[in-house]
Parts: sequence; structure tokens; C-alpha cells
Amino acid sequence: MATPAVRFKPRPPDRGSFPIDHNGVCKNFMNEYMECLSNNNYDNSKCREQSKVYLQCRMENQLMEKENWKRLGYADLKETTDCVSKDKKLDLVKDDCA
Amino acid sequence: MIINLTKTFQHIASRPGTQKLMFRNISNLVRTTLQQKSKLSTLCQPKTRCWQRPGSGMEIWVQRWGSNVLCVRLASGRPKKAMSNIDALIYAISLVIVWCGMGYVGVPFYKAFCSQFGFGVTPDTLRGHNREKVEHMERGDRVLSVGFSADKDAAFRWNFKPQQTRMNLVPGETALAFYTAQNPTDKPIIGISTYSIYPYKAAQYFNKIQCFCFEEQILNPHEKVDMPVFFYIDPEYDDDPELEFENHIQLCYTFFEAKEGLNLPLPGFSSRGSTPATGKPATVSS
Repeated sequence: MATPAVRFKPRPPDRGSFPIDHNGVCKNFMNEYMECLSNNNYDNSKCREQSKVYLQCRMENQLMEKENWKRLGYADLKETTDCVSKDKKLDLVKDDCA
Repeated sequence: MIINLTKTFQHIASRPGTQKLMFRNISNLVRTTLQQKSKLSTLCQPKTRCWQRPGSGMEIWVQRWGSNVLCVRLASGRPKKAMSNIDALIYAISLVIVWCGMGYVGVPFYKAFCSQFGFGVTPDTLRGHNREKVEHMERGDRVLSVGFSADKDAAFRWNFKPQQTRMNLVPGETALAFYTAQNPTDKPIIGISTYSIYPYKAAQYFNKIQCFCFEEQILNPHEKVDMPVFFYIDPEYDDDPELEFENHIQLCYTFFEAKEGLNLPLPGFSSRGSTPATGKPATVSS
């Protein structure tokens, strides 16, 4: 039985909207993420650490509601919550953070 | 007795609708039959039709009371065929089958009707996928590419474009993408966006965890900001036969200026100056 054509209905995001980063506090992390993407043929699976770092920056600056990483799909990545700093670049290779 | 019967016959035959022409023939027949009484008992059971003129529907029915024949009834008109038990059973079974069939057909019809007209939309279906699904979903193997494009209303003065034109990912993997928006004018401008997905069939699997759409966003004069989209593609994308050969999804955001009388197809929520994620009002820093 032929069904009628499905009309596209936009859906709201699960967690609402990102507040705008007017001060650009997380801009560096965004640039690192974009650099990773362009170096890896825009392959998302290779740049997940960087995207996680960016989201963590947002959480720490009240630009995103804090959430368990598992609920954001980062269960497979190691916890790096203690390592993020706004001032210095993050060394993601290390297992523990000095 | 024969005379009595004949009188009875006359009485019946005089009713409207009976054929008087046949009356004499029938009365002769009855007289003949009744004279053969020995035969009568074997030929006619009580209330048995003894004779029928073919084609005319004319019948003689003999009512026996003990060993005597009390009355002869002339029945005219077409004999009605009563519905037998078998026929009634067949009708009943076919009716049951028809109703059951309508029940099966009704399920996809109902779904199609409701998806078209929006009835029966619950908050869960409206809001996208369950948050907890993200925690337990498994990554697929099939690599999909997502394209990003930006569009804006002709009168809208922001510069709006994606930071990446495409991205490769697998279903079940959360991904982050960025758009850039800039306000080149000297006045703050409030924008509001909506999005579309192509192909439409893939839209049900495209789940945004957080983005910048459907909420008013304000940009100060000469301000440039990054707008992230955090999303994933449902692992069930791989199971849909209609999407077996669709490996590319195009996501397009369109910005409009937020002003009175603007009607966007918003899915049911919109607040000025506050974000549901943090609950805090969006501050505009100078």
C-alpha cells in the first residue's frame, strides 16, 4: 500500500540550544578541533577527543549544562576532566594528567 | 367431504391474487387424490406439499388431522428459498474475515494519516530521541557523510556559513560541527534559525543533542561567533531498507531575522532571551 509522502518536520534538539559564546572563551578549542578535522579528512572518529575538550570548555564556562560524558556519547573515551585548562594546550596523549 | 373441501377451495381461490382459472383443475386433482385415500397416507405427510405446478408457484398443501384431511390450502406466489444453515455460517465467517482484514489494513493507514496530519504526536516523539538512548547506543560500521550548508533570508544581514562543508561519521557516534555567524552592521540583530535535512527519509534518524536552532540568538555589532551543532545519527539508520543506498545526508540551516509576525515552523517551543539548557538568560556583553 503506497503511503503518502512524509513531510519533513523539524524537531527540537534534545538538550535545547547552546548559548552563544560572545567572549570567545572556547574559540581555541574550536580551532584545534577544526584543525584535527582538516588533517584527518574530516573524519569525526579521529577527532573525538578534541570535540570532548571543546564541550568541556563550554561546561566550565557556563555555556553548557554539565553532563555525564556517557550521556553525550563519550563513554569510550577516558576521563580527562582534570586536564582542561583555558590557558594552555591540552596534551591528549598522556594517560594521567600532571 | 369433497364438497366441503371444494368450498374451502372456493374461499381460498376468491382471495385476491389467486388464479381462478386453475381452480377447477386443482379441485379435480384434489378430489382424485382424496379418493385414493390409501395412497394419500403414503404420499402426504402432515403439512406436506403434495403437488406443485411448475413455474407458477402454485401448491397444494394437505393438512392431516388424524386420518382425516381437514383442509387444503392453496398457496400461491413464488416459493421463498429459506437460507440454509450452511449459507448463514459462510456469511458469518466471511464477515469475520472482512473485519479482521480491515483491522490489519488500518494499522499502516493510521500511521500514514497521523504522520501526515500530526495527530497523536506525544512529547517524546516531538522532542526527538530519548536522552538515555545516547548512553547505550552502539556505533555502527557504515560510514556516512554529512554535508553542511547555510542559508539565510535575503533581508537578513548576518554572514552565516558552515566551518566545514562535510564530515564523515558512523551511526551511533556523536559528532560536533560548527557554523560561523557574524554581524557586520552597527546594530545588534536577533536571528532565529531552522534547519532541514535531505533526504527527508533520513531526517527521522538525525538527532540533534544540542544546537542553536529555534531559539533567538542575538549578535552584537561587528561580533563574530561560533555556533556548534552536537548531533548523532541513530544506529537504526543502517536497518532501514529505504536508506540502504543513501550514504550522504545534507544538513542545511537557515537564519531569519527575529521580528514580529515571523512564523517559522517551530516544533513548539521558543523563548526570547533564555535558554532551556542552562536556564539562565542569555547575557549580552558589550
